[in-house]
Amino acid sequence: MTTGAGTHSSALMADRSPLSDSALVAAARKGDMKAFERLYRLHSGKVMGLCLRMTRRRDVAEDCVQQTFIRAWRSLAAFEGRSAFGTWLHRIAVNEVLTHQRNHGTRAESDDEAVADAQDTPVESHRDYDAGEVMDVERALATLPPGSRHVVVLQAVYGYSHEEVADMLGIAVGTCKAQLHRGRRLLRERMGLPETADE
Amino acid sequence: MNETPKNGNRGRDPLDAALASLPEDVAPERDLWSGIRAQIEQTPIVAPRSASPLQANWFRLAAAVLLVLATSFVTYYVTRQSMQQQIAQTPPASLPAPQVTSQPASFNFGTERLGASYVNARAELDKRFQERVASLPPATRSKVEKNLADLRRAAAEISATLAEHPSDPLLQDLLMSTYQSELQLLANVSELPTASSMRTDL
Repeated sequence: MTTGAGTHSSALMADRSPLSDSALVAAARKGDMKAFERLYRLHSGKVMGLCLRMTRRRDVAEDCVQQTFIRAWRSLAAFEGRSAFGTWLHRIAVNEVLTHQRNHGTRAESDDEAVADAQDTPVESHRDYDAGEVMDVERALATLPPGSRHVVVLQAVYGYSHEEVADMLGIAVGTCKAQLHRGRRLLRERMGLPETADE
Repeated sequence: MNETPKNGNRGRDPLDAALASLPEDVAPERDLWSGIRAQIEQTPIVAPRSASPLQANWFRLAAAVLLVLATSFVTYYVTRQSMQQQIAQTPPASLPAPQVTSQPASFNFGTERLGASYVNARAELDKRFQERVASLPPATRSKVEKNLADLRRAAAEISATLAEHPSDPLLQDLLMSTYQSELQLLANVSELPTASSMRTDL
């Protein structure tokens, strides 16, 4: 997976609006599509990054981004401003990704399965990489099993807490911690990094 | 976002450093806005909602109450004459009086959220219902009170769930629909003709 970060970064930067998200949201709630387009320009890059790292497929990620903003428009009335608009968007995006994966046969892991998997699966058993190869972090992230990858992406890349990630993914906090532990262990191995005492 | 290795807790760990170096933004390769715009243009303009979605729905409920009352009034006059001819005196009651509560339910995400006017109107309707239901034949009364208790139980369950997921539009619609059904039942019974001409097949 190549993320192509920065491909259109200058275009994105040019669209930075002096208006705050809350002002744009207020205008969009009144039906101002220009305001909503501004919100799209401001947030689509981060939503795309999140979807791409969760799905590993650019076409799927782009579909999820589209659906995220369509759903956000339709649900704007329900946005109460208790969280940042970006966080709200990310929750919708995560839902879109999980829905897509459910609809396309990616097995959803129950809490029990996920914990058992995280604890028991030998590191060497994952076949999505060549043993011995040292990867950069983006590639190593893409080789993680979905449960661990989702948690690592949301926590380590996008900075959400265990509780927030558990809530977004619909899993228990304990499962979230186990998946993070597992993901970090796999990443270290695949990136050729030494293990730390807590891993 | 409050627990963030990315923000420096583990800054010296090479793994954290590598993860922190990943750009959060990744630009889509194609312009997705045109597709989004095409979709949302088909969606009606989003109406702003007040802080409490249920409060905003007061107008829907008020309209529902008016509709129910008007419908009941018309139904009453249309059916009154024929019912007086058809319905014999109901035999004495052999069923025990039902114990199902007909007091308004205490909703966790409850009717008080809909505003004082709604609560007052509902209380008035409920008072008329209580007066009227007391004069119904036992079998009819039992059915009516069971239906009302079912509706209030459903509303209580939905409102409890809604308290956990306050922005779920499906739950909001379900709750409003249940409140409306409850009001409709209260209004229908309140407007029923009195004792001697009462139907028993409600």
